[in-house]
Amino acid sequence: MKSFLKRLLGTIPVLFGVVLLIFIMLRIIPGDPVTMLLGEHVNQDTIDRLTEVMGLNDPLPTQFFNYIVNALHGDLGVSYKYNREVTDMILEALPYTIKLAVLAALFAWVIGLVTGIISAVRQNHLADRLFMGFSLAGVSIPIFMTSLFLQYFLAFKIKLFPLTENGSLYSMILPAIALGWNSAGRIARMTRSNLLEVLQADYIDTARAKGLRRNAVIVGHALKNSMLPIVTMMALQLSSMLSGAVITESVFAIPGIGRLATTAISNRDMPVLQGTVLFTTVIVIAGNLLADLLYSVLDPRIRKEA
Amino acid sequence: MKKISRRDFLKGSASALAASVMFGSGLNAAAEEGSDGTLYIAWTSDMQTMDVHTTSSNYQIPLNIFDRLFEIQLNDDGSTELVNSLVEDYTVSEDGLTYEFALHEGVLFSDGTPLTSADVKYTFTRMLALPESVQTDFANAIAGSDEVMEGTAEELTGIEVVDDTHFTVTLSEPFAGFLYQLATPSCCIYSESIVEAAGDDYGIDPALTIGTGPYVVTSWDHDNSIILDLNPNYWGETPSVTHVEISIIPDASTMSMMFQSGEIDILDCDYLDSSVVESTYKTAYADQIVSANRLSITYFMLNENVEPLNDVNVRKAIQMAVDRESILTSVYSGEGTIEDGIFPTGLIGHSEENQGWLEYDPEGAKALLEEAGYADGFTMEISSDESASSGVLLVLQIIQQNLADVGITAEIVSYDEASWLALRKSGEMCSFVATWTADYNDPDNFIYTFFGSADKSLIRSGNYYNTEVMERVAAARAIVDDDERLAEYAALEAQIVQEDAAWVPLFSRTHLFVVSDRVASYTPHWAGYSDYSFVGVTLA
Repeated sequence: MKSFLKRLLGTIPVLFGVVLLIFIMLRIIPGDPVTMLLGEHVNQDTIDRLTEVMGLNDPLPTQFFNYIVNALHGDLGVSYKYNREVTDMILEALPYTIKLAVLAALFAWVIGLVTGIISAVRQNHLADRLFMGFSLAGVSIPIFMTSLFLQYFLAFKIKLFPLTENGSLYSMILPAIALGWNSAGRIARMTRSNLLEVLQADYIDTARAKGLRRNAVIVGHALKNSMLPIVTMMALQLSSMLSGAVITESVFAIPGIGRLATTAISNRDMPVLQGTVLFTTVIVIAGNLLADLLYSVLDPRIRKEA
Repeated sequence: MKKISRRDFLKGSASALAASVMFGSGLNAAAEEGSDGTLYIAWTSDMQTMDVHTTSSNYQIPLNIFDRLFEIQLNDDGSTELVNSLVEDYTVSEDGLTYEFALHEGVLFSDGTPLTSADVKYTFTRMLALPESVQTDFANAIAGSDEVMEGTAEELTGIEVVDDTHFTVTLSEPFAGFLYQLATPSCCIYSESIVEAAGDDYGIDPALTIGTGPYVVTSWDHDNSIILDLNPNYWGETPSVTHVEISIIPDASTMSMMFQSGEIDILDCDYLDSSVVESTYKTAYADQIVSANRLSITYFMLNENVEPLNDVNVRKAIQMAVDRESILTSVYSGEGTIEDGIFPTGLIGHSEENQGWLEYDPEGAKALLEEAGYADGFTMEISSDESASSGVLLVLQIIQQNLADVGITAEIVSYDEASWLALRKSGEMCSFVATWTADYNDPDNFIYTFFGSADKSLIRSGNYYNTEVMERVAAARAIVDDDERLAEYAALEAQIVQEDAAWVPLFSRTHLFVVSDRVASYTPHWAGYSDYSFVGVTLA
């Protein structure tokens, strides 16, 4: 518990660093929100007036200080473009991304583990080759290709699924598969290779010699001992899903965090981008903490060291 | 606005319904509902606000929930004319300075609030006084506008309220485009009490952002969907479309598939690759294509501050080196018109005399370059906006090849949209291709925007040097006699493009849309915008 608290405290400088970094980077890159707002109707007087109104004339340290103080009070500012509270915008988008990420993670974990185990047990049989082929495809095909491919064949041609997200859980299945396939592939491959390694170990023979049934040995002994790196990977996949969500959300028209962030970048809508980055950082950190916690649950040695 | 009777199409609705059912995916309610008055459309990105005072890029909702004092009507022959909307009658004084207006009686906002002259005055005052306003240009012809903009006066002296339905507008100097300006989406009429009650939520909260227009926004699910229904208090004729669902679909290929699955009724081809339009829509949907004349000019701007573009002969050589015909044909399948000036075909002030002088002549270009001392050519940058459609990059690549043919090495440098706009605003962008579309049908909207002053030219990285001409452009706004004014514009156009070679005029592009079987007729916006009024759509 103590070590957990320590780690929790350790995330504060990480968060601060991320906010500072994104704040500085956004001001270094060329382009400003006012010019973006005006587009073709650019006009110097209007630019000057809007720049002043938006507080973009304040010195950068002042802007940063104000941002941090407000953020600590739970106020992430107001979108330059949409003139709405960033917190509201994120809270509206978050459920979509969570739904997508959880479904994708479930898909990845369940399919990844099951196919990985089967492949290990039935090494070099047809099922193994088939599953490993699919997982290789998942790992090597970029998410946007997977998304377009699934959408075109399963939604447009066969009409098995809706083309875009329409509020129902069913319409989230295709995006979740597109997003989770890559992770499923990674998990399957790792589960397979770890299991295969463990299955060679002497204690497996011992367990078998004791008269335990094959399945009991695999689940109770082999799997348990090979889970540690897999759990790490499963937790870390959470962050890669957030980055993949950007593309999936765009293809399937899901109004989630990823889309919020990409449009914020192109609009130079700094408060929105800072807000989304802050949120995703929190999620990634939470994923890592979760992995740590699971570690100590799964491996008593880590618990003791702590 | 409506030209086609709905009844003519009701008869055909049963068969259209059957067709659309077969066509539909069965996944979205769109196709099955047939003639229930619902129109399904899609945008690639969400709107910023419904308040036109703070946006110049999202006009579709304002066009439909508000009314203007005037509208522009698109005639069957492609010409446009100014028609009364909220204004029932008006007179203009001899000197072109004073306008007397009478509003329609009995116009109500959708919550029942009556429209009065005071609301009109309030609207224009707010347009000028609001710190976040991006539309001050559309009210700054009115007397006293400078004081309101600068904050030294609260009252806009140029608008005098006579009674509830009568008001007078005085301009600081005559401006022939004024009535046309009043017909732009920028000049939507608001209600003082409604705007004041909404405060900061005006434009953001649909329930508080209401107008006198045919529709009200009943739901805005950000980044996802917008729903409109009929305004129960609408003063005009009831439109055919009674319910509109707009989906936000960021991916163009997704949008295209949705159209083919019957989930969208009007597809804007601007979002698609022109190759997709050619291969899919012009073949399988040939009968369902609606093309709109777009009052726009696509131009290749040359920055006169950048050496050697400061040499007029070099600019003239570039004008001759660019093969516009083959660009239009190969990139846009010839959907458009080659333009030789500033005022595109269809715009008031478009002069046939200023057309036809510019020929593709690479040999002539080489000769001019040699004369200018650049026989061995030179290098220059063409700045490309990554967010622009794929067609624009193709245009740049052909221009690059054309320039290479006469010895000029042009390097295409890509920027993301915000960086591109920032570079252009700095006045230091060497050259670029962009398009300007009419806000109102008057030559002033084009020539004054680009060549109205040194500042205006700098902020678009033109840096046009001829200050004398720019003074004339600004002065031309005040010429009261229309013939005299248009003659002056034609002379200025010839001077700027032909003599001074300030830019390479390219073309105006046709705007293509594809409509579903459920749409019996669709009248696009008169200037060929992506935004249009739903009143102009008749459902089968």
